[in-house]
Amino acid sequence: MHAIVIDDSRAMRLILRRIVGQCGFEVLEAGDGRAALDLLGGLDTVPQLALVDWNMPNMDGLEFVAAAREDARLRDMTLVMVTTESEQSQIVRALAAGAHEYVIKPFTAEAMIDKLALLGLVPTGANT
Amino acid sequence: MSLSASDFAFVAGLVRRESAIVLAPGKEYLVEARLLPVARQAGAGSVADYLGTLQRRPDPAAHRSVVDALTTNETSWFRDREPFSALTDVVVPHLVGTRAAARSVRVWSAACSSGQEPYSLAITLQQALPAGWRYQIHATDISTEMIKRASAGEFSQVEVNRGLPVQLLVNHFTRSGTGWKVAPALRENVTFQQLNLTAPLPALASFDVIFLRNVLIYFDVETKRSVLRNICKLLRPDGWLFLGAAETTIGVDEGFERVAVGRTSAYRPRATVPAGTLGKG
Amino acid sequence: MTEQPTPTVDDLREIAEQVWAAYLDPEGVRPFLVGEPGEPGTAVSASVSLTGGWHGHVVVSCSSGAARHAAAAFLAMEAGEVSDEDMTDVMGELANIVGGNVKSMLPAATAVSLPHVVAGADNRFPTTRRICELSGTWLDEPFSISMWQGRGLAEVPAA
Repeated sequence: MHAIVIDDSRAMRLILRRIVGQCGFEVLEAGDGRAALDLLGGLDTVPQLALVDWNMPNMDGLEFVAAAREDARLRDMTLVMVTTESEQSQIVRALAAGAHEYVIKPFTAEAMIDKLALLGLVPTGANT
Repeated sequence: MSLSASDFAFVAGLVRRESAIVLAPGKEYLVEARLLPVARQAGAGSVADYLGTLQRRPDPAAHRSVVDALTTNETSWFRDREPFSALTDVVVPHLVGTRAAARSVRVWSAACSSGQEPYSLAITLQQALPAGWRYQIHATDISTEMIKRASAGEFSQVEVNRGLPVQLLVNHFTRSGTGWKVAPALRENVTFQQLNLTAPLPALASFDVIFLRNVLIYFDVETKRSVLRNICKLLRPDGWLFLGAAETTIGVDEGFERVAVGRTSAYRPRATVPAGTLGKG
Repeated sequence: MTEQPTPTVDDLREIAEQVWAAYLDPEGVRPFLVGEPGEPGTAVSASVSLTGGWHGHVVVSCSSGAARHAAAAFLAMEAGEVSDEDMTDVMGELANIVGGNVKSMLPAATAVSLPHVVAGADNRFPTTRRICELSGTWLDEPFSISMWQGRGLAEVPAA
């Protein structure tokens, strides 16, 4: 299984790489939405999971999610926003744009794994 | 100052039984750091003194404090998931058939801790019950501190991230300060009360469903039996009792029978008194 | 215009508790001890600027020793393996997370800038006043989180 981590913070990419790596994913990284779309466009197999920050230069996470929803090739990719944006209205916007789940920073590793279990991407109870 | 191997083994055993979290050797520092405030609050001079007393004189409330201290931030929404799916898929459809006159369902969360279980139950019933039905969740815990926290209905970002699908967060909570608060439409259906399951229980109206999860493990078999007997009096004859995954009534109280519900099990009062006990009353 | 509550030191404390629980002290054994600030002489300051509905800055400052510990905890490395880049990135991300959480309590149109990390105390905010500060020690090293509000905020017309 493959995952792509899209975040302009190298520190956050490293944390997310470690957590989803422990769940058995091979991890790709991109620093913004535009770079992620370019990277994904050149891949033969689309990752099952994208972890997407919101506030990034060039193309933000909301724009990325909307673009990914429009792209038939990326249809089966599960989109999880991982962001400090935590106003109710912002979460609703992200879901309306097509995000499947949402993790608010700060998050614990266990919380991230719980969300992946909710999405059926890791077995339930992988966390206990 | 450092913890003895037997003290550590005692704590690790307690935590593993309750939470399935394994404290491997080498985590003595963690036990020491987490339990120091608990020991101080109990008036003990040190963690070792506190654990020594606890091992000589078992105390379920103190056991709970130890486990709570070592599993902070571990509490998930919809913990174990299957009991909640069983409510939606099996129990609620059944109750909708049998409670059509009252159109009301009562559920007891008998060890509600910081509140994730009763509010998860409330969300489940809110979604599963047809329009026009009412539900009440009665949430109790031995700890007044936990009742205070749970009753406030406020959860941090870290807490709402754990096992709560974001659509449910958006639907049933509102932002409050740095965290989130349970929405009034949910909160108004949940009542809280400090209650010790091993003491005589107060008068409560009977329940259709009781969640008594990860509580019996703290008790010896005699206490388990007496808790189950008291609980049974508050469960409607056609109600359901849900226990923790590692718990059972089998071999403890034959007044219940185990039944499959969805992908998990629940316990229901036996319709008739077991033959062996006939004539004893 | 509706009155918006300004975040307080208690809010900063709650946000800090979450950040420590998630990243800097997931085991709950190395807490941020709020109280007497340690020796002054801050070595690293990371900040984000908030603009739009509210104008100001959120600043995370600490000694280089604390920044090293923070990077090690955040990135699951030994303190000895931490590079300057790791320290800068992690301090920036801490400011981003604290700032983002503060933002969620402010008027809806507020935006958070990318983080900015500098050596030494951050004195780049001449037209602001400090409205709250959470300071203390972490692993015996000085650590502080503060909020600075731009002056003349009330005169800024709503968009």
